Amino acid sequence: MTVLGWVFLITSLACVWGLAAWCFYKVLSLEPRRSDEPPRG
Amino acid sequence: MLSGVLVFARFFLFLIIGLLLYAYYLRVPRPPGTMPDQVQATGTSPIREVRSRLEWRTSMKPQTQEWGTRLGVILAVAGSAVGLGNFLRFPGQAAENGGGAFMIPYFAALIFLGIPIGWAEWTMGRYGGRKGFHSAPAILGVIGKGAAARYIGVIGVLIPLAVSFYYTYIEAWCLGYAWHYVAGPAIVDPAASPGSQMRQAADFYSGFTGASENGILAAGSVQTFVFWAITFGVNIWIVSRGISKGVERFCTWAMPAMAICALIVLARVLTLGTPDVAFPDRNVSSGLGYMWNPNFEKLGDPGTWLAAAGQIFFSLSVGFGVIMNYASYMKKNDDVVLSGLTASATNEVFEVGFGGLITLTAAFVFLGASGTAAAVAGGTFGLGFTTLPMVFAQMGALGALLGAVWFFMLFLAAITSSISMYQPALAFFEESLGWSRQRAVGLLVAVCLAGSFPVMYFSRGGVFLSTLDDWVGTFLIFVLAMVQIFCFSWVFGLDRGWEEAHRGAHIRIPRVFRFVMKYVAPLYLLVVFVAFSVRNLPAWIRGVAEQPLAQGALVLIAATTALLLICIRLGEKRWRAAGLDLDGRRPAE
Repeated sequence: MTVLGWVFLITSLACVWGLAAWCFYKVLSLEPRRSDEPPRG
Repeated sequence: MLSGVLVFARFFLFLIIGLLLYAYYLRVPRPPGTMPDQVQATGTSPIREVRSRLEWRTSMKPQTQEWGTRLGVILAVAGSAVGLGNFLRFPGQAAENGGGAFMIPYFAALIFLGIPIGWAEWTMGRYGGRKGFHSAPAILGVIGKGAAARYIGVIGVLIPLAVSFYYTYIEAWCLGYAWHYVAGPAIVDPAASPGSQMRQAADFYSGFTGASENGILAAGSVQTFVFWAITFGVNIWIVSRGISKGVERFCTWAMPAMAICALIVLARVLTLGTPDVAFPDRNVSSGLGYMWNPNFEKLGDPGTWLAAAGQIFFSLSVGFGVIMNYASYMKKNDDVVLSGLTASATNEVFEVGFGGLITLTAAFVFLGASGTAAAVAGGTFGLGFTTLPMVFAQMGALGALLGAVWFFMLFLAAITSSISMYQPALAFFEESLGWSRQRAVGLLVAVCLAGSFPVMYFSRGGVFLSTLDDWVGTFLIFVLAMVQIFCFSWVFGLDRGWEEAHRGAHIRIPRVFRFVMKYVAPLYLLVVFVAFSVRNLPAWIRGVAEQPLAQGALVLIAATTALLLICIRLGEKRWRAAGLDLDGRRPAE
């Protein structure tokens, strides 16, 4: 594998994993919707 | 020629018998109280009775189905997008079109085409849901403000329905292969010579899928049919349980399970090292290089840009009618911007993060550059169902386990996609005919049986299947996507659409995407569509003219379209009678 191959591989993986991680962090850190909450009592 | 006519006649005979049985089912008297009095009292005329039963509900029942959790809808849409193409088609496309350099047009298409059109679909779907609609024709009628958009929107049901005719069959292959790795016998003998292994893998594929002969499934290869029946049954069972209890619950465990399977296979592939010391160049690093070393000359080829746009497009499930249907079950203030982006990002992780590392690397390590090139040339099915069994055979004791995990992962990827194909048709039958979910499931099963049997029966060379895939699963997707983005940006209006998209949004779309959604995405799509049509349509039309099976596939598409058009006509009458805003004249509440 050439150096440019590694550059493209690592950049692409960083982009997709980074975007997914950021998105899931945002989604999971939101306040739960009323219907997401466990039933009380 | 005569035999071809006979098999078609047999198929249509089965179709007519099925429809007659269904008409009989409609005529079976219901217990008192299950239908309105005026319908039960429609007299003795069978035609009037059937007609009355078709139209017996003249008022819309309030739609009670909705997603249970925020994460549920994201995983369901991501599950719809992640399919066989992520693991089998993407690596081949990348390797053939510039390797690492392919990622430049690929990410350009993702940013300027896939994500914006996806946002438009999510927004239109949620808006249609607020109007009480859940199917693409009804939603596009509202967004496109009239009957023209509504009737063109039938494509949004035709695509998932017709694709399901063959997709579930391919899904059954994955389940069957996984079962063979668990229960045996081995698909490929590891002790045989490479040439012999290739023949064994090809023979098994040919026999298992019926690619060698028409009617082979009916003639004796029962196991494929059994796997198809199981697969189809599970799909129908999931969608019949509804959005929250069926689709959402299934995707909530299937997606993590798929990720775990992918991680297991990826970990093994990346630790293969140099398995054969006689071929020191066949190692993991070189395998990754086969896929990722950039060839910048390919960027000058328009075909590379076309391939990248096509891959993004089909991978994200945009232009399929599925996202609109799923989003229509969201609450009016549920976020669509972050949800749409998260679903797209999840799909990319499976495509680039797993598909881009596993498939060709494993093939290269055992088969070398020439063997991998031949595998890529063999297309998606050749790579997945012929080459990879040979690769797993080389992995020693762990090979069978990894083969089972791999094909089970493909099965999960396929089933999360196929349930998203049945759901839009089910929603359409429910809301156009005013039927309960159980009755709509009955019609869905009847239509799917009528559509799936010819795909399985006329299996030789995959002509019937590939004709459906070309015309519905490829061509019409471009058409629907263009209709969607045009309706959203130009008919519904970008300002209104922008405001609607940001209702309840947890992140804001950068303003530059206003320009992208209004001008760049439609133009980009148009250019890709024209280039695609110039390249492919002449050969496809020749194929239809020369091959009776291809003509049969088009007859099936036409018959399915006719059924859907009848349903939308009946639906229009019902929706008007119920006072629904089917032409989008009033603002949503």
